[in-house]
Amino acid sequence: METIALITSFVLILIGLYGILSQKNILKMIVGFSLFDTGLHVLIVTVGYIRGGTAPILDQVTGTSNVSDKIVDPIPQALVLTAIVIGLGVTALMLAYALKMYQEKQSLDIRDFKELKW
Amino acid sequence: MIRNFFIILIIAGLAGVFVSLFWEFGASDTLTPLATHYANNGAAEVGAPNLVTSIVVTYRGLDTLGEVTILFLVAAIISFFLKVEKKGQKMAPPRVSSEIILTASKLLVPVVLVLGIYVFVNGHLTPGGGFQGGAIIATAFVLLLMANPRFELNHRIIAAVESVSGMAFVLVGVLGILLAGGFLDNKILPLGHFGKLFSAGAIPIIYSLVGLKVGSELSNILSNFQDVQKDEL
Amino acid sequence: MDFISPINVVAVSLGAAFFMGLLGKKAQTVSYILLLGALLFNTIVSGQWLYGLATNIIDAQQVYTAGFRPPFSINLLMGLDEAVITTLVNIVGLLGAIYMASGLHKKGSGSQVVYLVLIMSLNVIVLSRDLFNIFVFLEVGSIATAGLIIMQKGINAVSAGFKYMLATGIIASIMLIGVIFIYRFTGTLNLDFVMQSHPVLKQGALISSFLILMAILLELKPFPANGWALDVYESAHPGISAMLSSAVATANLFVLYKFTGMAGESLMYYISLIGLVTFVGSNLLGINQTNARRMLGYSSIGQIGLLVAIIGLVPHSNANFKLIFIGILTGHYFAKAGLFWIAGIVKAQNIKEWSVLRNRPVLLFLFLTFVLALTGFPPFPSFWGKWQLVMGLSQQGQIAAVIAILVGSFFEVVYLLRWAGYSIKLEPGKLPEVKLSQFIPVILFGLGIYATGYFVSQATNFGDTINYIPLVVVAILLVVDFLPAYIKNSLSILATGWFAYLLIPGQDTLKLVFTVIFLVGGILTLIPGFHVKGKRAGFYPSAMLMFGGLALLIEAENMLQFFFAWEIMTLGSYFLIIRGKESMVHAFSYMLFSVGGAYLILLGFGMVSVGNTGLSLNLLSQIKFYPVLAMALLAVGFMTKTASLGLHIWLPGAHGEAESDVSPMVSAILLKAGVFGLVLLMLAAGGEYNNYQGLFYTLGWIGALTALVGNLGAVFQEDAKRLLAYSSIGQLGYILFAFSIMSQLGWLTGFTYTINHFMFKAILFLSVGGIVMRLGTHNMYEMGGLIKKMPFSFIAVLIGIITLAGIPPLSGFSGKWLFYNAVIMKGWYFQGAIIFFAGTIAFLYCFKLIYSIFLGQLKDNHRNVKELPFWYLLPQYILILGIMVFSAKPDLILKPLGTALAAAFPSNPLIWEGTKALSQLGYWDATTIMIVIGTMFVILLIWLMLMSRKAQNVKQFNIVYAGERPERPELTHVSHNIYAGYNKALGFLVAPGITGFWNYATNLVESIGNFTRRIYSGNGQSYAIHLVSYIVVVFIIYISSI
Repeated sequence: METIALITSFVLILIGLYGILSQKNILKMIVGFSLFDTGLHVLIVTVGYIRGGTAPILDQVTGTSNVSDKIVDPIPQALVLTAIVIGLGVTALMLAYALKMYQEKQSLDIRDFKELKW
Repeated sequence: MIRNFFIILIIAGLAGVFVSLFWEFGASDTLTPLATHYANNGAAEVGAPNLVTSIVVTYRGLDTLGEVTILFLVAAIISFFLKVEKKGQKMAPPRVSSEIILTASKLLVPVVLVLGIYVFVNGHLTPGGGFQGGAIIATAFVLLLMANPRFELNHRIIAAVESVSGMAFVLVGVLGILLAGGFLDNKILPLGHFGKLFSAGAIPIIYSLVGLKVGSELSNILSNFQDVQKDEL
Repeated sequence: MDFISPINVVAVSLGAAFFMGLLGKKAQTVSYILLLGALLFNTIVSGQWLYGLATNIIDAQQVYTAGFRPPFSINLLMGLDEAVITTLVNIVGLLGAIYMASGLHKKGSGSQVVYLVLIMSLNVIVLSRDLFNIFVFLEVGSIATAGLIIMQKGINAVSAGFKYMLATGIIASIMLIGVIFIYRFTGTLNLDFVMQSHPVLKQGALISSFLILMAILLELKPFPANGWALDVYESAHPGISAMLSSAVATANLFVLYKFTGMAGESLMYYISLIGLVTFVGSNLLGINQTNARRMLGYSSIGQIGLLVAIIGLVPHSNANFKLIFIGILTGHYFAKAGLFWIAGIVKAQNIKEWSVLRNRPVLLFLFLTFVLALTGFPPFPSFWGKWQLVMGLSQQGQIAAVIAILVGSFFEVVYLLRWAGYSIKLEPGKLPEVKLSQFIPVILFGLGIYATGYFVSQATNFGDTINYIPLVVVAILLVVDFLPAYIKNSLSILATGWFAYLLIPGQDTLKLVFTVIFLVGGILTLIPGFHVKGKRAGFYPSAMLMFGGLALLIEAENMLQFFFAWEIMTLGSYFLIIRGKESMVHAFSYMLFSVGGAYLILLGFGMVSVGNTGLSLNLLSQIKFYPVLAMALLAVGFMTKTASLGLHIWLPGAHGEAESDVSPMVSAILLKAGVFGLVLLMLAAGGEYNNYQGLFYTLGWIGALTALVGNLGAVFQEDAKRLLAYSSIGQLGYILFAFSIMSQLGWLTGFTYTINHFMFKAILFLSVGGIVMRLGTHNMYEMGGLIKKMPFSFIAVLIGIITLAGIPPLSGFSGKWLFYNAVIMKGWYFQGAIIFFAGTIAFLYCFKLIYSIFLGQLKDNHRNVKELPFWYLLPQYILILGIMVFSAKPDLILKPLGTALAAAFPSNPLIWEGTKALSQLGYWDATTIMIVIGTMFVILLIWLMLMSRKAQNVKQFNIVYAGERPERPELTHVSHNIYAGYNKALGFLVAPGITGFWNYATNLVESIGNFTRRIYSGNGQSYAIHLVSYIVVVFIIYISSI
């Protein structure tokens, strides 16, 4: 289970990164980032996985004693929430950039934005 | 071509890094001592059945404040970045939405809003919380936009909700220093009955504030994107 | 005292930020005031902690959040380090907001919110002890930065911002992967607990911490994976660039420092390597820049690289680590913020347009302050940092790192000082209006850098032995720079006299010679300044910087004092030399050689300190670590100042183009500083019985060849001042040769030449310089027949060249006599023959000098020329008096010198019988010779005068061109190209081979830089590729080493 999740997350990350590095269209690069982020989020959740654990919410299943034997790790789940929100913010800002760049040059090709160099 | 080959090469290199992490990684059957502490004492210390919430809002409350700040920042940046001077430009005639969307939006928006509120108010009890609830609220706004592209949100109200809930969040945090054990301590209010709506100290309050804030911020971001595109039409 | 908990920085900043979001467009001012209030609050909090922790009123304090202890909740630590860093961040935050007042107003409360949040996030990353928390606030910081970049309008900022987002997006993800795996492998996110769990011992945790460190390193823009950062520095609002370069970099460096606890020793090695590569590489590429802000970007990245290297190189347990770090950090922090701020005032992008600063002298002064601070000159904090760093690394045996640091620093000096030169010399355009709100932060940072420099110096080992009085004098002169020149001239003479009064009584004989040359010479060469009308802005601070440095040089007892004095003197002389009309290029090349030399000296001192304790100059006599190499480095360092062969190409231009009264200062006096260094060095080497025979033998050859090339060069000059300049090279070659003989006679020769050169070169440069000033031309073929117009100058020049050429009865002959004795006894016949030959050549140029200027035909346009001003003649005649005394009674000086030298050079002394000097080869009585020749001269003169009563006065144009028709005006002057024949025979010796070598070296460096910087193609995606490849490459190198 965790092996599959881990491999999935790594593959997602690498596909996303490939998209960022090889796509010329800025929007596609941003999609690459989204994939990258998704892979990261899967990774984080996977890291918190405990074999046979349930959701870290105290209810009838877990009871309130010896909870630690029954649940998966809540910390990565808390972290992933933060990571998702950050990813959302970054994506939104990148899209705003893309919009502005398109307005300036009527182009979304990253190679058209090379005024500054050397 | 060479470039693509090179990219694949370095992706492969990075895969190498991951592989070395993969070999070290073995699924575990027991929690880390830190997680064990949260699991076994979370209920007593924080009073929220949803352990993720107690970590997000209390134990790691400072992160959450940073998270909220990020959304706030993005909203602020986008609003001054995409700000367009409206000089009575000619606007293209609005796209007419289909009857289905128009009707559905009227029907669904209140429901979605209520669902969003439900999700963040109950964040300490059930899966969900301020961010999730806020996101749901923002979808209601998306629906409105889809139904009526000319729809304009009252920016003043949105900004007010955003700022007031943010300040209140900080204020609750500071009260933690004054009344309890530290910044963002939830014990400024009694922990109450475990598992009840009004329990877990300040968590429901904080999560409601976060929900409002996230909802208004996401809506704000969307509406800014929408404003720009109106001129494009 | 109540200390405000640092968590309030977060609370107040965010509270204010959220409130500012509430304010509409109409309340811009309210929101701006709120912004300043919050930033001021932050500054007060961190400042208060800094004060409390530095004075031990309070101990470092943990701030817990949520009412739980770590590792269960996030905690902040406020210790002394954190207090220093947050104070730096908050101060630049506050002043930056003042600087950007109008920009922040225009963009509205949104931009102000972003600004405030950026500063807040920097505070948190410095204070926080939680890895994930640091990650979150790093992200807050990068998003805020991405927002601030686009405050500047235009496509450049937008595309730079996008490149920035691409890069930081990838960096953040890499860090997150590291953080999550660190949690997996150590079970905690708290930095202190992570370190306790010894992540180094577990392979997985090691890789995780590698990823985290890699991410923070990439935030610090390692070369070459830093194209994105350069674009941002160039295109963002200068206020934002200042913020990135000073505040953000400072905070990130501190995070790196915090994180290094997780890394193993082997990773530290790679961190230092990354830092050094960045420092050298970035500065190399900086050389090719013409855009000021981009150049500052390169410099920023370089400096940050150096700081990264320090974190990796110097063990944190080393007592001096923090001092080194703070010294270099604050130097960069103040200077870079200041320069970016000035860039915003100047607006011009091209570095050649920065001469507009001359419209505002205060601004120019601040600009130079920052530039010099970056290049590590005293008294700025970076000087102390660099000194401690080099000494510390040398003692660890890290000579390779020291060399890398010096090479990188040298590249940085190249482009920064070229820029400084442009701003001082090029024609100024119009300076845009300077707003007070922009001006104040720059001034405060200017003051800050001096204050910090003083503070750091006092904390440095032996730093409290530095005498600041000369610098106080300079400061006073700067303040009264608005006064007329004659007042400042008097003040400077008084100050120099005062230094002399303090130093001369009871001074050791050998040093006394130099003290007199430096300070009495200083007074004499300052006297012509009375002739100058007006203010002569900037002259006196520079002159006193040089003379002050020279005085400190005499006084120096330890290596730090010596190096401090050396740098001060170099700085002052640079500013003096660059004053000449055509001097920009020459001052620049002077400075490059001087700085290069200074770095060799520094490296040499570093090697001297290996295995020794303390810094005393006496340690030069007990070098333990590669003694010959250390000696050689020091010697070459000093020889850049004496302009020995190979290192001489700066001299003709620098001395020839300098102002009339500056040339004698730098020629007669300043060159002797190098001689002084060599004398100290050779004495420390052990005098006559030293272990460096091979080295001194080589130096002897260099001296001889220098003499030949210098004199030959002089012969073929048509420019009077350059002729004298080349002659200086030759004379200094004699001096180097004489001292290298390492015998008592050799040294007496050396001293005699030194004293003579001081006197006659001052006379010659004063008179020739004065004539150039009067006539407005340097070219000798445009002069002629001035003997009747300027008889006093003629006599002075005559005396000068007689001394120079070593013709009896003047003291030049004493030198020659001693010289042949010394050479013969040493047995250096070949070299001696070369010197002898060079001496003959000296006759040629001496003749050319006096003949072309004073004899022959008076030019039409010179009919109304007057004699040199009194203030020029006075010092010349005082010096002539000196020559006369030294010629008639050389024993007055040589006898005590002989006694003083006897300790180091006991064998074959010169024996004095009254005025008669006896060597093993013969004897010589200067007084008698003087009397004999004087009598002959008088008799001949009388006879000539009697004879010439019958002479017929020829009218000026009563001449025949002997059938030749002069095609060019200069051909009418008989002495034009007078030695064409010799040029045919010997000209190849002065062919600019050495200049060619240095040009080649320069071109090579530039073209390497030009080639390398092509990687910054401008494509944001390529920059992302660079980033990822950088991680992969470093990972592969790293993993294969563990």
